[in-house]
Amino acid sequence: MSDLNDTILAAHARDDRRALVGLYTQAADQTNDINTVCFFLTYAYIYALELGHPDADALYARLDAHGRV
Amino acid sequence: MAKDEYQTDLTVVRQPVETAQGLPNAHYIDEGVFEEEKHAVLFANWAGLAVASEVPEIGDAKPIEFLGIPLLLVRDRADKVRVFQNTCRHRGMILVSEPKKIEGAIRCPYHSWCYSTAGKLVSTPHVGGAGFNTHEAINKDDLGLTEVRSHVYFDTVFINVDGKADPFEVVHADLLERWKEFDQPMYHGGADSCFDLEVTTNWKLAVENYCESYHLPWVHPGLNSYSRLEDHYHIQEPNKYSGQGTLVYKQLQGPDDAVFPDFRGLDEKWNTGAEYVAIYPNVLLGAQRDHCFSIVLQPNTLNSTTEHIHLYYAEPKTSEDMRSRNAHLWKTVFEEDIFVVEGMQKGRHSPLFDGGRFSPAMDGPTHNFHAWVAGKVQEHRDKQDA
Repeated sequence: MSDLNDTILAAHARDDRRALVGLYTQAADQTNDINTVCFFLTYAYIYALELGHPDADALYARLDAHGRV
Repeated sequence: MAKDEYQTDLTVVRQPVETAQGLPNAHYIDEGVFEEEKHAVLFANWAGLAVASEVPEIGDAKPIEFLGIPLLLVRDRADKVRVFQNTCRHRGMILVSEPKKIEGAIRCPYHSWCYSTAGKLVSTPHVGGAGFNTHEAINKDDLGLTEVRSHVYFDTVFINVDGKADPFEVVHADLLERWKEFDQPMYHGGADSCFDLEVTTNWKLAVENYCESYHLPWVHPGLNSYSRLEDHYHIQEPNKYSGQGTLVYKQLQGPDDAVFPDFRGLDEKWNTGAEYVAIYPNVLLGAQRDHCFSIVLQPNTLNSTTEHIHLYYAEPKTSEDMRSRNAHLWKTVFEEDIFVVEGMQKGRHSPLFDGGRFSPAMDGPTHNFHAWVAGKVQEHRDKQDA
């Protein structure tokens, strides 16, 4: 997670939102705590939404499954 | 303006042109009157903001400030041009700070509330706490972007800030009928067919100068060689619009006598005719057989105005060389007007200038505009007093 955290920070530093969609999704997939999962999925979804990223609908569906959107 | 503050006397402005005087100096040099006119004239009517070609593709967004109001011009997913307040419904943050393409949603850079290009609030991340993106107190349907009424005519985006004006098609039914032949596709000439002029003048003086042909032989001697004063006629519809027409419009000719293609199906009167109309308050339009133009006057301050000029053609592909020459021609003409509108602005600091007398024969279109402004200001005052 520490490596992923660094990668996320680096993506933020270069404002690479497309990369952040995948990286936050990856962060969500590395935990089992629902609140943490949804915390990371929210970031992934918002950047995907902003970008019109093809993952936006799937990320929405994952958050929706937990009653978070 | 509070009732007990100084108010200009507009009675004489609204008299017939033979006896009327122009708007008093304060309408050009007084901050209080500028503020009054902002509401009475510019916010209460259909004012020009931009042209739709400034957001040519779906998702294009451009922030524009109009008299201090941060606005956002957007072409939404349905290809409709919309105008929003450029302000997030959460903490009032500016949403878009420079022209950009909205690929998906408009994301506020502060807490990332997201809006569709149609203004719908689509996501409120963490609004119910970390990872909780809803809250029962936050109804997204109630919190879309605040849309400003807008209407596109002649590619020009008109807005009615106070939302109370009659529909654009009603207010300008006469002009729409007059120029219905030009209700057809017109194509912005692109980067080489738009330019801005910064002028140190109150925006109204640019309208007033545009309305009349009286100045042509003196200020535009080049035009006079092929478009003489006597070949012009007045256009004046009380309380609506005014301008001038010419009977001897001559097309720009390029190498080998090439000309721009004509708009389709025009009456033969347009073969040598052209009309130039100020659509009140702040848009100046030109209609000619082979190209049109729109000038949006952006009132920056009491005595600072930006003129945004855009040229349009009947077909999407035209000669680059011809377009460049045409833009240069018009820029030369409009630049010739700058010393006039700036000079009239300076002249209004003469305390004993009384608004000026109009030539009944030549200044009808300008008086028409003065009378309209005076009427709108008076209407506003009457409402304030009611």
